[in-house]
Amino acid sequence: MEIKDRILVIEDDKSIRNFLRAILEANHYDVMMANTGSEAYSLITSQCPDLVILDLGLPDMDGMKILRNVREWSAMPIVVVSARSHEKDKVAALDMGADDYITKPFGTSELLARIRTAIRHTRTAAATPGLGQSGTFVSGNFTIDYDKHRVFVDGKDANLTQNEFKIVALLGKYAGRVMTYDYIMKEIWGPNMKNDNQILRVNMANIRRKIEKNPAQPQYIFTEAGVGYRMVEAD
Amino acid sequence: MKNIKIKNSIWKNCLVTIAIFAIAAGFCFLLQRVASTDTHVPLIFVLAVLFISRFTQGYVYGIAASLLAVIGVNFVFTYPYFKFDFTITGYPITFLAMLAVAISVSALTTQIKKQEQIKLEIEKEKMRGNLLRAVSHDIRTPLTSIVGSASAVIDNYEVLPDDKKLELTKDIRDEAQWLIRIVENLLSVTRINGSSANISTNLEVVEEIAGSAVQKFLKRFPDVKVDVNIPGEVLLVPMDGILIEQVIVNLLENSVLHGETDRIVMNITNNEREVIFAVEDDGRGIRPDVLPVMFEGGLHTEESEEPDSRRNMGIGLSVCMSIVKAHKGDMKAENRKEGGASVKFSLPLKKEQIYGN
Repeated sequence: MEIKDRILVIEDDKSIRNFLRAILEANHYDVMMANTGSEAYSLITSQCPDLVILDLGLPDMDGMKILRNVREWSAMPIVVVSARSHEKDKVAALDMGADDYITKPFGTSELLARIRTAIRHTRTAAATPGLGQSGTFVSGNFTIDYDKHRVFVDGKDANLTQNEFKIVALLGKYAGRVMTYDYIMKEIWGPNMKNDNQILRVNMANIRRKIEKNPAQPQYIFTEAGVGYRMVEAD
Repeated sequence: MKNIKIKNSIWKNCLVTIAIFAIAAGFCFLLQRVASTDTHVPLIFVLAVLFISRFTQGYVYGIAASLLAVIGVNFVFTYPYFKFDFTITGYPITFLAMLAVAISVSALTTQIKKQEQIKLEIEKEKMRGNLLRAVSHDIRTPLTSIVGSASAVIDNYEVLPDDKKLELTKDIRDEAQWLIRIVENLLSVTRINGSSANISTNLEVVEEIAGSAVQKFLKRFPDVKVDVNIPGEVLLVPMDGILIEQVIVNLLENSVLHGETDRIVMNITNNEREVIFAVEDDGRGIRPDVLPVMFEGGLHTEESEEPDSRRNMGIGLSVCMSIVKAHKGDMKAENRKEGGASVKFSLPLKKEQIYGN
């Protein structure tokens, strides 16, 4: 018998719980449900689910509080689902440690893809402690060679500058996940960089001119307007 | 930030006041040389006060200017020149009258300005009303279909064949997706906060916003081919990225839903002053009678071949227009000679925001 991944859904709306259970069980996940924040706490601590789907608008507490508390002791993947669509809410949840953020209304295929990505990432992070980057990242004709510090497109060196490579390498490390502008800025330029991401945007524009066929229709690095960048998943 | 703004406006108003007085004084000196009479002087200064009230903000400058004019005229232009003398026969009354005229003129012009403001507010309120009406129409139809289709499946579960049930459920999904589109547009309008059409702009890279808009669009219409052409240099333009993304998505969707095309080209070009987004398709084009009013909102195709159709362009385009207007840009639509429609909008940019090549 196969071992199913267990997903805890924290959501107070009955019809959303209903259809989430239906699609998750149809896709071979074990599903647990929690209506309230306190119920969610006891299930998270007692059952240790493989992934948590967290609605930010709960009747008894703000979902962000659950996110903050769980992140104090666990790196379990948490996908935030919320009706708050302003990009600053997304940024706040991602910076707080959410693995992903999906805005209601969302499509089921999109949700399933995000769940798969989040679970896989936690697995690979656990398998390679320290997150030392080595080897290669390959997606189609796009290759990041971490050892040589080079990026190849169609077998040709893209000639990225050092900072450009650092940005691409960072996105490659978390491929499939949105990295917020702030996070990338801090990782590449350090915490003392002034809080203005213009330099990152210009760098990204130059990277795209080197690796994408058409920078306005990217194949490898996507923009989440107002939030950050996301690299395509590895093959 | 706000302080600087207030200081700037004080400076501006003072400058206007001084400039108009200088012109008036210069004119009086000139007339004094030519005609060697003084009777016109108070009238010219009343005129000056009128202009000052018109071109400055609030009562303060107008009233201050009228007092200044009364004192100044007495000092400079009445005998004895360059001396105060309020005892000349008849003059005190003349100047009192001048003061009264100046004050009431400045009060009047302020009043007129206020009324203009109110008129503008009413206009905006009217637009909002139009939008609401259009929206409630656009929401009712799909809601009816959703409730109806769902009830049809539930009430006739045993008798309906499977393919019919699937069809009805698909309708529910499609209608709900249409609702999502409307709600997203409405949310955009709430981001243009309040009456002043103030938006919070950040410098955004043009191709990023265009790219993420196209990506969003392709999620809904994966079979449509979209080509985006961008300028060689990196353009950073002040905008609310989410709103401009919404504009582009709306235009792309309109090409598919109204133009019924599956090939769209978006050309992004720039000159020193602005960046221009042009969405062009080879579809049905825009009906000539719709063309002049298509951005006005609440546009319904009641007289057209699709009565009561919700496939109208009203909300999407009027939202686009208000977003572009809030960015101090412009929007135009036309039919292409080769067939199909072309909708262009422009956003202003500053020269230093063009980077390298």
